[in-house]
Amino acid sequence: MSELRRILHIEDDPSIQSVTKLALEAVGGFEVLSCSSGAEALREAPGFAPDFVLLDVMMPGMDGPETLARLRECLDLERIPVAFMTAKVQSSEIEHLRKLGARDVIIKPFDPMRLADQIRSIWNADRY
Amino acid sequence: MGEQVRLELQRQLQAQREQYAERLGQELPELAGLAARLEQQAGLASGRQRVQALRERLHRIAGAAGTFGFGHLGNRARALEQRIDRWLDSQKPSGQALAALARSIRQFASQLPEPDSELSQPAATEPDEELSSRCRVFFLESQPDAAQASAQALRNFGYEVCHSADRQALLAAIDRQPPDALVVSVREAEDLAAIAALQQRLETPLPLLVIHDRFDFASQLAAVRAGAQGYFVRPLDVTLLETGLERCLNRPQHDPYRVMIVDDDADLAERYSLVLQNSQMHTRVVSEPAQALDVMQAFNPEVLLLDVNMPGCSGPELAQIIRLRDEWLRVPIIYLSAETDIGRQMAALLKAGDDFITKPISDSQLIASVYSHAQRARSLSTALARDGLTGLLKHADIKEQLALEVHRAARSDKPTSVVMLDLDHFKGINDGHGHAAGDSVIRALANLLRQRLRRIDSLGRYGGEEFVVVLPECPASEAARIIDEIRQRFAELTFSTSAGAVFQVTFSAGISETDGRSSASELLERADRALYRAKHAGRNRVVAGTGG
Repeated sequence: MSELRRILHIEDDPSIQSVTKLALEAVGGFEVLSCSSGAEALREAPGFAPDFVLLDVMMPGMDGPETLARLRECLDLERIPVAFMTAKVQSSEIEHLRKLGARDVIIKPFDPMRLADQIRSIWNADRY
Repeated sequence: MGEQVRLELQRQLQAQREQYAERLGQELPELAGLAARLEQQAGLASGRQRVQALRERLHRIAGAAGTFGFGHLGNRARALEQRIDRWLDSQKPSGQALAALARSIRQFASQLPEPDSELSQPAATEPDEELSSRCRVFFLESQPDAAQASAQALRNFGYEVCHSADRQALLAAIDRQPPDALVVSVREAEDLAAIAALQQRLETPLPLLVIHDRFDFASQLAAVRAGAQGYFVRPLDVTLLETGLERCLNRPQHDPYRVMIVDDDADLAERYSLVLQNSQMHTRVVSEPAQALDVMQAFNPEVLLLDVNMPGCSGPELAQIIRLRDEWLRVPIIYLSAETDIGRQMAALLKAGDDFITKPISDSQLIASVYSHAQRARSLSTALARDGLTGLLKHADIKEQLALEVHRAARSDKPTSVVMLDLDHFKGINDGHGHAAGDSVIRALANLLRQRLRRIDSLGRYGGEEFVVVLPECPASEAARIIDEIRQRFAELTFSTSAGAVFQVTFSAGISETDGRSSASELLERADRALYRAKHAGRNRVVAGTGG
């Protein structure tokens, strides 16, 4: 399996965007590209070639699930795990997001000090 | 991560928190303005659209605030968001309910955002905590007499009771503001069906107690399907109902379950740990079986997750070692294994296990399994430590608790009061109305005490009809006032027997106060002498001892 280095992060909220970037770069040592919308992500994704995609669910315009569907056209999502981030905590919702093809769902609010570990454990989850 | 990097990171995180706080300073007033407008125009057809806009803002706060150290604010935003969802999903969304909702949002957004304090103490240790805050109970009962009697009895126990005479009124009241618990006196089969439908659309089902005429299987099944946690048959023993309410409201949500994970694959163990932590459980990971016993001793887990195949010592072997100790006999052991052979699973279970989860393990399966075992284990251990009839501390435990409080009082220089309390003419009740009636009196007094006292107060059943109450940081004069108020309420309770007899009961109490010198036994003796004086002076009264 290749190494986890580059993470594509798609999130419209600027505060969450910057704290996530900080958490993943400083704690996790990853390289992070932050996009503020699904459209921006679709433009940037092929050039960035992420190892992992972290995707907000509720976004104006193109929402998380739609972005995921469109990303499939330009990224090999069989190989690149996608995790959703959401403040929705119902288990039915989480189940729904998994069915869309997300490897896992990270619940907001998250702890910035632990986020990198959470992502790494999702990345490693293939082994189980 | 090096210390330098960590400090720099902390500094940056702090800066981001401050930025977020500034942002809240703008967003909350905007939200308050939108909510105020909605409140005034809740009847308009545009209400639905407007509330959606509020919902989006609340959703953003719910998702972000906790990350920036405003977890409390985030939780309240989430609760409001869920109320909006309920309103949007309800069959007949009312303008009145929407106005109430908008008002709550306006109040929420009008407060200054307070970051969570890292040193925040659990509420139980607040010295100025008044009598326990009142729980709101919604009560459906279509028969006026029964409604009047039961509602009054519950009020005497300190509940805030809102009575509805029909289903529609009840459902509308719940839409306006959901209660802490629901008591439904079933008169028609549709009652439970309506409640079941209601519970379906709620984010978290309401604790439900059902009162019914029949005790047959089908009725109980319907009750359970509606989410019942208690089932009572008419004629109603209100003290049993009250005990049921206590039980479902006191589910200690503030105390996370403790789970220990033993797996030689550290990454895997860490993954389980994260999943459980995200469900508000406390976890400890042990990757070396030989260390398990020490960690167990220190951490005192309520559930144990054991990998079956570990080098050096297998899961079942470790389980047998653990089961050698009496004090750990009650801790449920769940095996984690790639083993799919049922025969071998059974063999492992027979060696000291309780359950088996097969890898690969889904998060939801892991959570559900651990949660159900933890819940069961905790209720069992509470049941064993407490007096069976009242749920209060037993004789030896309340004495131990008193000794602790006496020490604490000596250090803190604040007086602690000790109350010895005894039912008046109790033998007559047992003889005249039977032991079942006597038991329900004892239960009623226990429940009333629990309701009316603070969480820091300790309560014990000292003997048959004798109780001990320890009130920390409370002088005898104040204790006398509180106990006397309880005495008056208790005297108002009416008990009925299955034979149709109706009677009332009183109690007497004696109080002593710590003085920095006296031991726990001396204080108990002094309270007992005061109790004797209360009895001697005609019973149904409270006497505070005057030193020596």
